[in-house]
Amino acid sequence: MRHLALPGLIALTFGVGGYYATGEFGLFSTANLLAGAVALGASAATGLRSLGELGAASARRVLAPRLLFFALAVVGGAGLEVAAHRSGSRLDLTATRRYELAPATRKALAELPGTLRMTLYYEALDPRTRRIRMLLREFARAGPVELRERLLDEAAEDVERFEIAFSNSVVVELGPRFEVVERPTEGTLLEAILLLSTPPRTVLDVPRGEGERSPARDDERGYAGLAHALRAEGYRLRERVSAGHPEVPEDTGAVLLLAPERDLRPEAYAALRRYLEGGGRLVALLEPAAPPGLVALLREFGFGLPEGVVVDPASGPVDGAPPGVNPIAFVYAQHPVTRGLNSDRMTFFSIARAVLAARKPTPADRLEALVYTSPRAWISPDVEAVVRGVLPPPPAGARVERTTLAAAGEFPRAGGTARIVVFGDADFASNRYLRALYNLDLVLNAVHWATQREVDITLRPKVITPNQAPLTPRQTLGMLYGLGLLLPELLLIAGAVAWQRRRGA
Amino acid sequence: MTPLLALVRKELLVLFGSPVAYLTLALIGTVTALLFFDHLRIYNQILFLYTTTVMGGFDSGTIPDYVSVRDTVFLPVMEQLALTLVGLIPLATMRVFAEERLRGTDELLFTSQLSPAQIVGGKFLATFVFVSLLLGVSFVYPATSVLRAGLGIEHLLAVYLGLFVLGLGLASIGLACSAFTTSQLVAAVSAYAVAFVLYDFGWANSFVGESVAVVLDRLSLHPRFAGFAEGVVSLADLVYFAALCSACAVLARLSLDWLRIR
Repeated sequence: MRHLALPGLIALTFGVGGYYATGEFGLFSTANLLAGAVALGASAATGLRSLGELGAASARRVLAPRLLFFALAVVGGAGLEVAAHRSGSRLDLTATRRYELAPATRKALAELPGTLRMTLYYEALDPRTRRIRMLLREFARAGPVELRERLLDEAAEDVERFEIAFSNSVVVELGPRFEVVERPTEGTLLEAILLLSTPPRTVLDVPRGEGERSPARDDERGYAGLAHALRAEGYRLRERVSAGHPEVPEDTGAVLLLAPERDLRPEAYAALRRYLEGGGRLVALLEPAAPPGLVALLREFGFGLPEGVVVDPASGPVDGAPPGVNPIAFVYAQHPVTRGLNSDRMTFFSIARAVLAARKPTPADRLEALVYTSPRAWISPDVEAVVRGVLPPPPAGARVERTTLAAAGEFPRAGGTARIVVFGDADFASNRYLRALYNLDLVLNAVHWATQREVDITLRPKVITPNQAPLTPRQTLGMLYGLGLLLPELLLIAGAVAWQRRRGA
Repeated sequence: MTPLLALVRKELLVLFGSPVAYLTLALIGTVTALLFFDHLRIYNQILFLYTTTVMGGFDSGTIPDYVSVRDTVFLPVMEQLALTLVGLIPLATMRVFAEERLRGTDELLFTSQLSPAQIVGGKFLATFVFVSLLLGVSFVYPATSVLRAGLGIEHLLAVYLGLFVLGLGLASIGLACSAFTTSQLVAAVSAYAVAFVLYDFGWANSFVGESVAVVLDRLSLHPRFAGFAEGVVSLADLVYFAALCSACAVLARLSLDWLRIR
């Protein structure tokens, strides 16, 4: 019966190999595993009888210490592994440090009101699950997170309950509430956690009706991404048609102006002015063609808004536009809004106007620039040419200097201290550019500062764009012949020479 | 030269005195090159499709995030290379102890100045050197291509380290199996069986409970390698492979007494 061991091992190998190949136990794998197990069992039973030969005292004397040493090696190794596992010591060597959680994620996990359950639903051969599994483990290390995994095929009830449509989906549960994340990344998981753990506590008033950008639109020009991110961070967006309802409601945390194309009605401006004089908060995203009434209102608070488009030759041609008209900012003022941003954490603007911290209306006011261009920038009055994709030359006498793309101010007034943040571009927070560089952090931190939620100012996970670097067919073939096949060929030649020498000897 | 190094040298000379070593090295180099070339070709085709105007082009965000040199080419090839190691390394380890015992030359070794532990250590060391060569040959072409495509040297080193420790673990299993038999065939087949079973206990998940599955997962070779493949070098994974190699070496040492007594 002992000769059955070898066929048994072969059957076992093919049984498990069949499983690796198909990801399931088919007839082939199951039959092989069963046959292998039976053969090995029979062989082992025969082999056990021969162990009696080892029962002699002399044999025991030799083998016992060796067996003890082996047992100690196994137990010691297991103990060390457990200790190393518990220590969590590891190095993330990925180019983008994708398994190091962002400060925002760590903060959200540390502040969880209870245990969070994250369940990964996947199909057996989905190659993406490994990566998300590793990411989820990082979440579990950083906070009270319970991880689970379910095969989609075996979780029909959950699939129906959570309406899971795709493999590699994560269901995040906190108490009775849940969010389904279909494309799990650190960023999307964080948003789900924030949506569950942060109840809406600040109302953002979003005036509409004068050509403002829509927080509901999910195309490239829309602001649905910003609206979703704001909701995740505890804001409730309330749209208001300013023509019909000019007054800013009392419960407003801040007014969010998304690039109106036309002037608001005079009564709406008057209401906004009253709101601000009473200690209100405003975050205004302007385009170069901002309506004059709004520009005039902001100038009353000391913001300088020169007409024209900022051209910064330090920024190359980005997104198909002429060089310089889409400034990439990397110089920031020391301000809560720009906390954590530096020359490595850039922000991207698309056809922006300058916003200057020009003149404080009263000595008690604080007015500060936030985001700077390079010192080589100038302002072109020819907005039409830039919008058409033509780079106008600097006009005669144009001042080439560092200018600013955003500014913020605090204005103590009788009714309270108003806070205003003005950006010279609205596109930077649109769906197309919101996740570019650190745009999301800049705009969200501006809203946090305006609404006096400085404690929520942080840096969020970045979206990692995979490297797309195709090699030409010639390069691909060249490397196959030059490296891929040449080396094995040389090795075979060396082997043939060694063999012939050996035969000759 | 110390007796230990002399033993290592002798083992390597025996290995490279026959065409088997060269054949194994050439085989893994060719298999990796062809696998890599095939994945690269498919990746380029996918990119071509996505960049045509019909499907949107690079700027439209139409390329799924899993289509990249890293995810579409490098990592799948490294996964297949890991599995190739399971197939090839037992071929290199099967003869190390078994052949010596079959020919009776092991008795000569025992009469040398080397202790049984040193004999085992020397054979393990020589095999580890061969595993390093095996990986070096298989890695040149993918590494060069991927570096050109910008994966990042640190990630590449992590994957290489993962393959290296996986190779050492598989070699240790193969050597332990070779140490208990006089037949190279039995040594190779038993090494395959142990390595295949231990490679990934995912197959056992259907039969065991969740808590047992977690333990089995921590015993498996492949999930350990997966961490390195993702660019994460964990102390626990390094300790696991070190413990596996040590346990196999102790087992091989035990086999010397075991077989002598029998």
